[in-house]
Amino acid sequence: MKNGFSVFLAVFIALGLSWCGFVLGSVKQLGTAKQAAVLNSSDTYPLQRTGNATLGSQVYRANGCAACHTEQVRQDGVVCDVVLTAAGKKPTVVSNLVSTLKLTGLTREEADAVSDKIAAAGGSVETHIVASGADIARGWGIRRSVAADYLYDHPVQLGSLRAGPDLANVGARFPDLNWQLVHLYAPQAVVKNSAMPPFRFLFEVRKINLGGASSPDALQFPKDFAPPAGCEVVPSPEAKQLAAYLLSLKADAPLYEAPFTPVMTKP
Amino acid sequence: MNDEAKSNCPTGTGGEPSATQSTVPMWIFIVTLLLLFVGAVYFDHHSGWFNAKVYSPYVSAEQLELYQPKSGAAAAAAQGKKVYETVCGICHGVDGMGKPNQAPPLAGSEWVTGGFHRLAQIPLNGLNGSLQVEGKDWNLNMAPMGANLSDADLAAVLTYIRTSWGNKAGAVSADDVKAVRAVVAGHPAISAAQLKDLPE
Repeated sequence: MKNGFSVFLAVFIALGLSWCGFVLGSVKQLGTAKQAAVLNSSDTYPLQRTGNATLGSQVYRANGCAACHTEQVRQDGVVCDVVLTAAGKKPTVVSNLVSTLKLTGLTREEADAVSDKIAAAGGSVETHIVASGADIARGWGIRRSVAADYLYDHPVQLGSLRAGPDLANVGARFPDLNWQLVHLYAPQAVVKNSAMPPFRFLFEVRKINLGGASSPDALQFPKDFAPPAGCEVVPSPEAKQLAAYLLSLKADAPLYEAPFTPVMTKP
Repeated sequence: MNDEAKSNCPTGTGGEPSATQSTVPMWIFIVTLLLLFVGAVYFDHHSGWFNAKVYSPYVSAEQLELYQPKSGAAAAAAQGKKVYETVCGICHGVDGMGKPNQAPPLAGSEWVTGGFHRLAQIPLNGLNGSLQVEGKDWNLNMAPMGANLSDADLAAVLTYIRTSWGNKAGAVSADDVKAVRAVVAGHPAISAAQLKDLPE
């Protein structure tokens, strides 16, 4: 081959540069990442997972959950909503003013202008930062996923296909342990028309000891899905670990890189 | 063999195909330069300059900074919680329940939910002597922990303890704290007996 050395050099430079860009650059930026501060709070995020939840991430991996579920919430935009907190000394003037103004879906500049107007009339306002996007509208998260969300994930199981819903926030959406376990045992018991296959091999169906009480771990089923009388369904250690991992998936802290105003919602 | 198939065959006798030299058309240069320009402009507007903190939909660190939550009662409450947990929570407990032989509870305390004039004097000036809190007697000394806090921070803390753990008293503003600070500046720590005589 002619010019063998030049070809080698060109290939080496091309691969070397992309290695620097993809590997070295990323490690330099995020390789030393630590827990981030939660906005307007003394808390840090994310919390280290419990032992059971850490083991559960390997159960998640072993059962191929990432083949059908993602762990990444996308965000298309951000808007400001101006919220009136107190009408002040001249409530009618303020409420008349407020009724003429657009208060939601504003840019920061527009929101500041509106706030100044209302403040000048004597009312007091708060500006709420609200993330928006298709995933957020589906209720899969409050904000986009950022690198900090995956700090304790080994490996990071982002997923690329959504045969099922996104799980980045599943622990916040369904905080009930029994719900998670029943969902693994019989998905259709809690989500009608779910396409998810049941993971019954993670559970044991056994007879309740004669005269004995049922296990405290036994699953509580809705009426039509209960096991036959005298039997109970108990989760294996793997099922408990997987459920603990799912409950630990909570990307609900406002961070500097993904700000939003937490609004107290009813539980 | 038709013409198309024939044209895919290497010409010549069994050798590798060879390229000849010819000039690249000028329009390819122009289109490439235009694409490069458009790409550079797009990069300039959307890259965030490889800042690890800038994710879409934010396009720059400045824009991200603009959308940080600020001001408002929510921010003040959060600031109050932060200051409380670093300054007050060590003795009074992050749950406001107090600690035996360290500090009385704040949750449900009549001194906390009463008027702010009397309440603000405690962190500003310190307190010693016997004090009844929720029917129990506490005889401890408190240093003027709040004397070095700014008016806004102390107001945030007072508002936080007056509105948390089931307490439902009014908020305290930075101006309120400023007024109380001006009155009590330089006074020695007050005793619980004096505190009782102060107006709420």
